[in-house]
Amino acid sequence: MPLTVAERGQTIATFRFIEVRLMEIAAAWVPTTPEMEVKVLLGKHIWDFAQHADALGKRTFELRLPEQFSQRPSDVYVQLLDGVAAIEDTARRLTALYDALLPGVERRYLRYIERTDTLLDAPSVVIVERILQDLVRQRREVGSLRGETGLMPANAEDLRRQDGSLDTVVVLRGEA
Amino acid sequence: MKDIGFIQVGDLTLRADPARDSCFTVVRSDTELHEYEGTGEVARRELVHRHMSNEITSLDIAAQCVAEFPDAPWGLRMELARQCWDETRHVAALHRRLKEMGGRKGEFPISAFEWNITCALDNLVGRLATQNRTLEAGAMDVVGGLIRNVRAAGDNRTADLLDGILVDEIQHVRFGNQWIKRMAESDPRVLLKVAMAVRFLAHVNVTFQAAEGEVNPVGRVLEAVTERIPAVNVEDRRLAEFSDEEIHEILRQAGFRSLVPENEGSAP
Repeated sequence: MPLTVAERGQTIATFRFIEVRLMEIAAAWVPTTPEMEVKVLLGKHIWDFAQHADALGKRTFELRLPEQFSQRPSDVYVQLLDGVAAIEDTARRLTALYDALLPGVERRYLRYIERTDTLLDAPSVVIVERILQDLVRQRREVGSLRGETGLMPANAEDLRRQDGSLDTVVVLRGEA
Repeated sequence: MKDIGFIQVGDLTLRADPARDSCFTVVRSDTELHEYEGTGEVARRELVHRHMSNEITSLDIAAQCVAEFPDAPWGLRMELARQCWDETRHVAALHRRLKEMGGRKGEFPISAFEWNITCALDNLVGRLATQNRTLEAGAMDVVGGLIRNVRAAGDNRTADLLDGILVDEIQHVRFGNQWIKRMAESDPRVLLKVAMAVRFLAHVNVTFQAAEGEVNPVGRVLEAVTERIPAVNVEDRRLAEFSDEEIHEILRQAGFRSLVPENEGSAP
């Protein structure tokens, strides 16, 4: 069964919550990260995440929700995001964000496209596909940065496993 | 989450320094910077290095505003997020130019003083009044003059780079002006916060400003404060939506010296 309109709206609103949180995490890391090149990368991606949230927030209004409406994901996932936000070491920050969190985000976007009616919900699909392109570019950029700075990936296995164990992060409410 | 605390300097409570690469020496006052006289090779390299550092600080400030004010209107958060991207491009472009000139990051002392002041304020409108409407607007005046000086020295690449940065700064000042007005319309108490922020900035400036005749580490004799006020970049301040009355007041403070647009008189 494809997603209902209410499920689409709430899922898009949950994605918006996540993109806003990613924007805030990257923003909080900028002044507390010493390496100039990393600040530059994070600063660029703050704007990416903001644009993703904005596009998703315009779509929520088209799905019977307020414009720029965010829906909180599951508590477990919020805790995972908060845990990543608290990391202090630069190499671990980059690994947590780009090698653990973002692949999970990417997987959920792809699953959304699989589950929605891609004809009727094409406006959502277009937004999600554009975000997916950005996520690929962001990971390419962090690869270049690592080559330039020598900041090698840390071990992200725990985080990846935690993220991978969450079948869904959307908490459906009301009639959905 | 890791947070940056506060420091006490005399009677002032300022924000502690943001993180910097270990290659940088961070100083607290203009007198400790290696600002050279004239537009010779080293002077221009130091200028590019100083601006690169200032852009890092502007990035830190805009990012901190995004992080610390989650309840700000979404449109304003979008402007701040976009400013982050702009500042990153400025840092990268200035770093590229610095390397072209034979320089390297950390070559000269830097300051993060705009962060220390702006991020000491606990409200967003105060930060917009300080950073965007005052310090960045002041930088538009300074950079407008520098472009002419650097071009006169034959360094068109640096002049063009600074002009590319200046055009972005107009929007940073403009959205600061727009949002302060918008927020004041819906809540007149906002104006009190703006006034307190401006007063705080003035107090900090008086506390830290170099005295006339002080000599910096590279032998430059610093002028009196009144002599250091740059000519006003009237054209860009208009684009940044300062009113005629506001521009008149700024011109009065600058002894009615203004920049003549670079392309004035040239063929269309």
